[in-house]
Amino acid sequence: MVREVSESCMDSLLTEIVSSYCNRFYVNKPELAARRIEAIGYQVGHQLTERYTIERPRFSDHLEAIKFICKDFWSELFKKQIDNLKTNHRVSFRPQILQLEVAIQTFWLLQGTFVLQDNKFRWLSHMSVDPSVDISGAGQEPFAMSENKSAQATSMHLYFPCGIIRGALSTLGIPCAVSADTSNLPACSFVIRIKV
Amino acid sequence: MIVCIAVVGHQNNPLYIQSFTEADDALKLHHIVHCSLDVVDERVNNPKKSGPMLNETFLGLLYPTENYKVYGYLTNTKVKFILVTTDLDVRDADVRNFFRRFHSAYLDAVSNPFHVPGKKITSKTFAERVTNIVKSVSFHTTG
Repeated sequence: MVREVSESCMDSLLTEIVSSYCNRFYVNKPELAARRIEAIGYQVGHQLTERYTIERPRFSDHLEAIKFICKDFWSELFKKQIDNLKTNHRVSFRPQILQLEVAIQTFWLLQGTFVLQDNKFRWLSHMSVDPSVDISGAGQEPFAMSENKSAQATSMHLYFPCGIIRGALSTLGIPCAVSADTSNLPACSFVIRIKV
Repeated sequence: MIVCIAVVGHQNNPLYIQSFTEADDALKLHHIVHCSLDVVDERVNNPKKSGPMLNETFLGLLYPTENYKVYGYLTNTKVKFILVTTDLDVRDADVRNFFRRFHSAYLDAVSNPFHVPGKKITSKTFAERVTNIVKSVSFHTTG
């Protein structure tokens, strides 16, 4: 028996999470609020992954797990798949390391970064940013400020999905760090850095 | 007859152990479960040449001791289910069926928002469901 929840309830809940944590629980401490929201996302991601991987055979490597996130996991959560996956993931090898700086750079490249791009992120699709900015001042300044404000407002809403992705990958045995980038709404990119 | 069922987490931490015998050899059963973890690791890390067995969740008979048979099941999330039974003649399909039902009971227990991932499962509903599954599954093949 499949139970369903109305989507407007989900949207309201997510908006309220961000609003409560930012404006009531951790006022003036946005980093703490962000970390708590991300931790909630982590646990949700863990539980969802347990559920969605139940009948599947085990994944043989990182790429398989990431593809699972892009296709099945994303379809279950957002009813669509990831539109674009970019990676610089390489098969690990040990080059001749001459200097420490070169070593650090090579190490970073070998860690494996994946960029998941969703062209119409469902949880942000109904979000609008207040364009009422005072343009009486100097030319360039207000636009930069308004962009900054909108980026800040939307970034709080992205901690939850970042936590979900991190929880999902950690449960599959892949520790990682996830960050989000919303340079052009409603498209949204999630950058996954896999820790060696 | 199923003697013991255990759930072991990602770092080999026990999440749930339940034995179904009246005798107090619970310690021996724990020991058997513990030893079987090594076998699971070895199975997973050194795959045999048989290709199709590589990524399956059901690991099959891990090792037989003098009285017991131990079966293993490894989920995608690196959680291991260990089943200890005294039946000598067990069908593969029955064990798979059992593990499938057990997996969905485990899933519901983990989806509980009050359950902390990594800690022991303390849900009474889960314990009841497991007892019901164990009671309803019968391994006795037709003699």
